[in-house]
Amino acid sequence: MTAETPRTSNVFVVDRGEPKLRGGQGLLAGLGVVIRHFGKAFTKKIESPAESSGLFTVQYPEERLAMPEAYRNFPILLYDDQTGHELCTSCFQCERICPPQVIHMTQASDPTTGKPVPAVAEFIIEYDACMSCGLCAEVCPFDAIKMDHEFELSNADHSTMTVNKAGLDRPISYYESIAPTMWAEVRDGAMKKLQGNMKRRSGDIGIAPPMKGKVQTSAPAPAAAKPAAPAAPAKPVAAVGANMSDEKKARLEAIRAAKAAQAAQSGGATPEVAAPEASAKPVAAVGANMSDEKKARLEAIRAAKAAAKAAQEGGTAPEAPAPEAAAPAPEAPAKPMAAIGSNMSGEKKARLEAIRAAKAAAKAAQEGGAAPEAPAPEAAAPETAAPEAAAPAPEAPAKPVAAIGSNMSEEKRARLEAIRAAKAAAKREASNDES
Amino acid sequence: MLKTEELQINIGPQHPSTHGVFRMIVTVDGETVIDLKPVFGYLHRNHEQLAEVSTYIQSMPYTDRLDYFNSMANNFGLALAVEKLAGIEVPQRANYIRVLMCELTRILNHAAAVGFMINDMGAWQTPLVFAGREREKILDLFEMASGARMMCNYFRFGGVVRDLPPEFMPLLKQLMQGLPAFFDEFERLLRENEILRLRSEGVGILPKEVALSYSVTGPLLRGSGVPYDVRRAEPYSVYDELDFDIPVGSIGDVYDRFLVRIAEMRQSYRILQQVIERLPDTTGGHINPSMASIGRQKALRPPPGDVYARVETPKGELGFYLVSNGTARPYRYKVRAPSFVNLTPLGDMCRGHKVADVVVILGSIDIVMGEVDR
Amino acid sequence: MVEIVRYLLGGWLADWLIYLIAYIIVTTILLIVAPLTMMMQVWFERRAVARMQDRLGPNRVGPAGLLQSIADGVKMFTKEDIVPRAADRWVHLLAPVIAVAPVMFMLAVIPWGRGVVPATINVSVLFVVAVSSVSAVGLMMAGWGSNNKFALLGAMRAVAQMVSYEIPAVMALVGVVLLTGTMSMAVYPELQSGIPIMGDTLSKYGVPDLGLGWFIFTPVGFVGFILFYIAVLAEGERTPFDIPEADSEIVAGYMTEYSGMKFAVFYLGQFVLNYALSMIAAIAFLGGWQGPGVGLLVATGEPFLVFLGSALSVLYLMIKAWFLFFVMIWLRGAFPRLRVDQLMGFAWKFLLPMALVNIFSIAIWVSILNWGSAQGLWFLDDLELWMRQLIAFVVTALINGLAYYGLLQLNARPKGLTGADLAEEQAFGTIGLPQR
Repeated sequence: MTAETPRTSNVFVVDRGEPKLRGGQGLLAGLGVVIRHFGKAFTKKIESPAESSGLFTVQYPEERLAMPEAYRNFPILLYDDQTGHELCTSCFQCERICPPQVIHMTQASDPTTGKPVPAVAEFIIEYDACMSCGLCAEVCPFDAIKMDHEFELSNADHSTMTVNKAGLDRPISYYESIAPTMWAEVRDGAMKKLQGNMKRRSGDIGIAPPMKGKVQTSAPAPAAAKPAAPAAPAKPVAAVGANMSDEKKARLEAIRAAKAAQAAQSGGATPEVAAPEASAKPVAAVGANMSDEKKARLEAIRAAKAAAKAAQEGGTAPEAPAPEAAAPAPEAPAKPMAAIGSNMSGEKKARLEAIRAAKAAAKAAQEGGAAPEAPAPEAAAPETAAPEAAAPAPEAPAKPVAAIGSNMSEEKRARLEAIRAAKAAAKREASNDES
Repeated sequence: MLKTEELQINIGPQHPSTHGVFRMIVTVDGETVIDLKPVFGYLHRNHEQLAEVSTYIQSMPYTDRLDYFNSMANNFGLALAVEKLAGIEVPQRANYIRVLMCELTRILNHAAAVGFMINDMGAWQTPLVFAGREREKILDLFEMASGARMMCNYFRFGGVVRDLPPEFMPLLKQLMQGLPAFFDEFERLLRENEILRLRSEGVGILPKEVALSYSVTGPLLRGSGVPYDVRRAEPYSVYDELDFDIPVGSIGDVYDRFLVRIAEMRQSYRILQQVIERLPDTTGGHINPSMASIGRQKALRPPPGDVYARVETPKGELGFYLVSNGTARPYRYKVRAPSFVNLTPLGDMCRGHKVADVVVILGSIDIVMGEVDR
Repeated sequence: MVEIVRYLLGGWLADWLIYLIAYIIVTTILLIVAPLTMMMQVWFERRAVARMQDRLGPNRVGPAGLLQSIADGVKMFTKEDIVPRAADRWVHLLAPVIAVAPVMFMLAVIPWGRGVVPATINVSVLFVVAVSSVSAVGLMMAGWGSNNKFALLGAMRAVAQMVSYEIPAVMALVGVVLLTGTMSMAVYPELQSGIPIMGDTLSKYGVPDLGLGWFIFTPVGFVGFILFYIAVLAEGERTPFDIPEADSEIVAGYMTEYSGMKFAVFYLGQFVLNYALSMIAAIAFLGGWQGPGVGLLVATGEPFLVFLGSALSVLYLMIKAWFLFFVMIWLRGAFPRLRVDQLMGFAWKFLLPMALVNIFSIAIWVSILNWGSAQGLWFLDDLELWMRQLIAFVVTALINGLAYYGLLQLNARPKGLTGADLAEEQAFGTIGLPQR
């Protein structure tokens, strides 16, 4: 029972206050205290915690005390005011952490493909069993579920205590009005994630019920995207904003490079086959559990394959070059596989793939156009174009190196590479077509 | 010779003065209590077994509901136990915030405990309402910091869930200005009151040896004259850096416990002054950065082993015994509730007194059934 | 009232009929006034206690909550009347009646104002004391008829309390009887005119009649008032003597098994009793309807001014009674309650001896004022009345003060008690006043 080394620690016996002859003096002192409170209760109201007498009553509901920001009563779901999209992706984190297990949800799925999308189909919270611990709001990675301040929820009908998504949805502006500081801390991250999730929701999945029908549905269906494919680079370029991560952007560019290559060379002949394939494949392949560099690598491979195929189709059908084309093609993957180490950053890898794709396309074109003389100049031209491409390609790094100063951002650089690769590929195809 | 019969009264679970659902089977002879048998379990909510199927962080909101009067102190106990088990360090600022919350809890509990005790004696709520007024002010502070008045869920393993908001300190300082006046007034209203002294002096005496043999803790023990306080016996958090004294009683009756509680409120005030002074200079943030995200909290897998950690809640020593088998859920989770242990000498304390004293003695032990039954 | 009725209807009706009608009217007025007073009292109590506790009282029903009592009354009326099956039905039914009826009787003999006495009897003090004992029987019936251990326990305590505290109350009133020489309460206020302490004795020197010659300003009256008031608190079961009423361990004591209107009747009886006893205390010690201006107005002789004087006197009595009731509320807001054995100890060991000493003092007072050489006190012969009063003041103050101090010492706990002594005293022992 001995303490370590406390600062001061005395033990003192409380004073029972014995000596005086008691004839009622203590009673009178008590009376005095009470009558003082009686008098003060008529004259003043307690305004600050420093006062200890005066009227303390807050006459609810005419007078209400302001709730502090951190006050938590029951959870609500948030949706964006402008787009109407709910932030919830049905990741089940809140359902798993809820101690009394009152949260239940089902994930929404794409009606055409049947695949799950990051949106929630139905969300139920049993308010009568919720213990307002706030763990769900703490754990949500998307800042979709937050604690509301509303407490006047008494109702004679018990069934209203089980609230579904329509009853839980609130606009972000509402939450911002009740907890501005807390929302400001997480707003940027939450909106960034929302943008990403919105991409993957088709039709009006993920739009809050109050906003359904009022906003344009985002992300049109893949079939309708085809005619807009040439213009596609324009739209995505607009979409690549500052809140998108770097590796994502590089990857996006790689995909677009592949698509642009497709669209440019086919020009409408077999876009329905190729494009959906091209667009379908990334959609299918880029799963949620695939790491970034793997995805980038995959895109690059696909870009290379598509370019090779285009070269194959475009050019006369030399068998030799085909396996050759095929050879470098598997070689091309071989090279990246060997070259990409785990300590290389995502966007760097993506950039590398883009460069390699351009190089492989150029090489394939070179192989494809080896036989004819006319193509020779074209081959030469491609060769020159290739050296041109190669020259621009090394130059491309050179040019970008020259042009890309340290003040040019990473995504811009990657974008530039991709555009150049696309241009080179297009040029090559154009020259092949001509020949 | 008159032969009187013994009557068995049931001071039943539904009763205005039993501090929760608590039943006492009292055998009386006229007015005098011959025997008293406590019966509890009416509020058993399966807390310990629930903790076995929940992760450690999921039990944290449930600890709020153990001693529902002092939720911050309960949180403190669990946080301390898990930190000991998993070897998580708590930064200095978090420790000071924790001590701040715990001492505020002590003030509000002792004020309300004294208020309830006097209420049981028959003062129609006046001291209780005065204590309740101060309690309201402190609960407003808790709401500002943690989000809820009573079920705070404020502590996490490695610190507290969020730092104090900027409007907390000015209000706390205002409250500190008003507290000494409240203590003085409370004492003046009650201390010299002859009726109070008549009702409480010599009533419910718990001798020192009996108290120690029942292993009671808290103001009940200190009222009997044993200067044992977990904050000094096994200092945790930053209590070994703070100055405060330990009040003890001399006789061990209800009046001594009442005086000890008032003295402890003043000592808590002293601790609060020191904490407020030092808080701006503390470092480290409000939580250990490695445990800052809730993902880390819920994925916590302490190494296999067991630990017993205890804190001095206003009711006594609250202990958590955790056995971990390396998974995210404890293998065994046991709560040593102070009210449960403090309730055991009730029969001994009441023997020979009048029926009216039983309620007063129960009030002086200051139990909360949430803890007793878990 | 009889004169008024006779004046109005005297021509055609027989005398006995006039009396009957007059008394019926008076009774009706009283029976209306009593519940109205009780409702005002309940409202006043709730608001005053709330202000003492830094909060508002009921303020939603009606302006400032004035209609709250009516709402409570409606609630009580509409509640189901539950009688336990094993209860003694008739006893259970009659208990509230017997507990409350005596209180109404008391109201009849109190002088509400100058010339406003419903029933003038010349032994009204005796009457009041006698009927107040009857309500104790009602309490016992309530406890027994409920067939409930708690109720029985509560009833026994209540009866013990009421019976014990009647003695000091009666002794205090006996002192006043000695002082005034009459048992008729209607006369007491008239004897308390003049100036403080001296009363009427200086009126022949031209000192105006301020109506402040109350008995409370004398040492004997002061002690008598304190004794009587404490006894009144216990009779009316107010804090700190409210063991029977809302005990924390015996739920509601003898009223446990009563619901609805019967409970309301008990409640009504308790409040009206408190008010009536406050009025009696005011009449006996605080001058009743006497106050500055009443004497002057009445002395003029003009009918309108006399009427105004009577109205003023009624107002004065109201103010005094309500003030005493406020003191009851004040005490309720501040103090815990005494345990039943402490309560009894207080009554028998402190109040009763003090009351007896007070009677002795009053006897000394009266004798100093009236005796002379015929009784062997030759030194008092030539003194003026006011001189005698002063001497009596000093002597009785000394006697009372010494008695008070002596009783405190006798009842105090000896110093240096250890815990074991205290424990033995509290548990299985008797208890006195707090330690010196």
